[in-house]
Amino acid sequence: MKGVTDIGYLSLFLGYIILIIPFYILWYYKTGLLKDAFWAFIRMTIQLLLVGFYLEFIFDLNSSLLNISWVLLMTVLAAYTVINRSDLNIKEFFLPIFIAIVLSVLIIDAYFLGFIIKLNNIFDARYLIPITGMLLGNSIKTIIIALNTYYKQLKKEKELYKWYLANGATKQEALVPFKKEALIIAFNPVIANVAIVGLISLPGMMTGQILGGSNPAVAVKYQIMLMIMVFSSSIFSVFLSIYFADKKVFDDFDNLKKIG
Amino acid sequence: MQKTTKKKAKNIDPVVISINNISISYKNNEVIKNLSFQIIKGDKAVLTGESGRGKSSILNALLGFVPISKGNIFLFGKELSPGNIAEIRSHTAWLPQETALHFNSVKDIIYSLFTLKANKSNSPSTSEINQIFKNLNISHHLLDKEIDEISGGQKQRILLAGALLLKKEILIIDEPTSDLDEKNKKLITDYILSQKDLTVIAVSHDPYWINKSSKIIVL
Repeated sequence: MKGVTDIGYLSLFLGYIILIIPFYILWYYKTGLLKDAFWAFIRMTIQLLLVGFYLEFIFDLNSSLLNISWVLLMTVLAAYTVINRSDLNIKEFFLPIFIAIVLSVLIIDAYFLGFIIKLNNIFDARYLIPITGMLLGNSIKTIIIALNTYYKQLKKEKELYKWYLANGATKQEALVPFKKEALIIAFNPVIANVAIVGLISLPGMMTGQILGGSNPAVAVKYQIMLMIMVFSSSIFSVFLSIYFADKKVFDDFDNLKKIG
Repeated sequence: MQKTTKKKAKNIDPVVISINNISISYKNNEVIKNLSFQIIKGDKAVLTGESGRGKSSILNALLGFVPISKGNIFLFGKELSPGNIAEIRSHTAWLPQETALHFNSVKDIIYSLFTLKANKSNSPSTSEINQIFKNLNISHHLLDKEIDEISGGQKQRILLAGALLLKKEILIIDEPTSDLDEKNKKLITDYILSQKDLTVIAVSHDPYWINKSSKIIVL
């Protein structure tokens, strides 16, 4: 198969010019998102360039310890991003959300790389880093939406939560409607997205593999596995984040403390 | 000393609620100071007085929703504590003043409570629901309505129906007749306060409710 056509650095730079239009729209409607969007693209560029250099280096080195450290760093940043975007208190929520994401990624990576692909070394840089990156990248948005919905609803519908408690519900029972709502809001679009893959959208990983010269059949199989992994890891992360964070969010009488 | 009195009382006149020298503060502002009272089984108690005197805070404190800075509270002889709170709440029915609770339908209000472990065994039959709706002057057609199709007063009575169907020992209600017209006010008051074994503790400004109550606590 033909190798992928490289993009020159000048062309890459010219590619940024198209951003003027979306940035103008964000500015025109005074969304307050322009600064965030600008820095997001700057960050993305620097991160990806660094990762590019770094990946070349670690693929050659392929040390399990180094690969695990890199994955942990990615998870720290993921947890930080989730908290930052959910308006939650970093001090209270960092640890629960970090542990939740680490556990989810650990379970899914072990299952996918060890059990499905049957790698001899599941810490192999070529698999561990991109797969974890895809898992985190694709589940972060869902986790943010789920946690935001859950805590916003709890704050807004505090009286409903109390009504359940005072009429005989255990804390877990009183939280069911809020968890249900968070799951519906966060996972509805994900499910819709899963249903249209291949028809309307060609996912990034598959496209990347095909561009990189892989057999489309292999790329498709990886993509199917990845969709399953992302979905599962997102639900695990949401479920575990709420489970761990709830221990800090309620007082001894099950009352909601100040959050965010 | 207080404990002995309580134990004795439990055997003769079961004390359902015992509030001993409690204080409640919000940000250094003491709204309740050294308050004590007891409510025995079947009492129809009402807390009344000017706004801002902490009446709702007492109801909230009874359920562990508002912390007390001093004193102690006993329900069914059990001290209100993190270890006992779930058990205590499994014996209470509560109707808050804030009836802007989010539900989808009238059926949601009635049935969601009976999905809870503590209430499952009390799940009402259709005829029980129809009967309580009749007693509270709620048309049984309302059972099939969406929540935005009913009025505030109807919602309040439906929430009350749900609370009564739970058949709990204590009914804790904050301004139970605030959204009701005169006719329904009297009907609801007469109905609730005539439930012989039910212990009621309410916050109310309504003279009719207050007159019909067996114990009046003015704050």
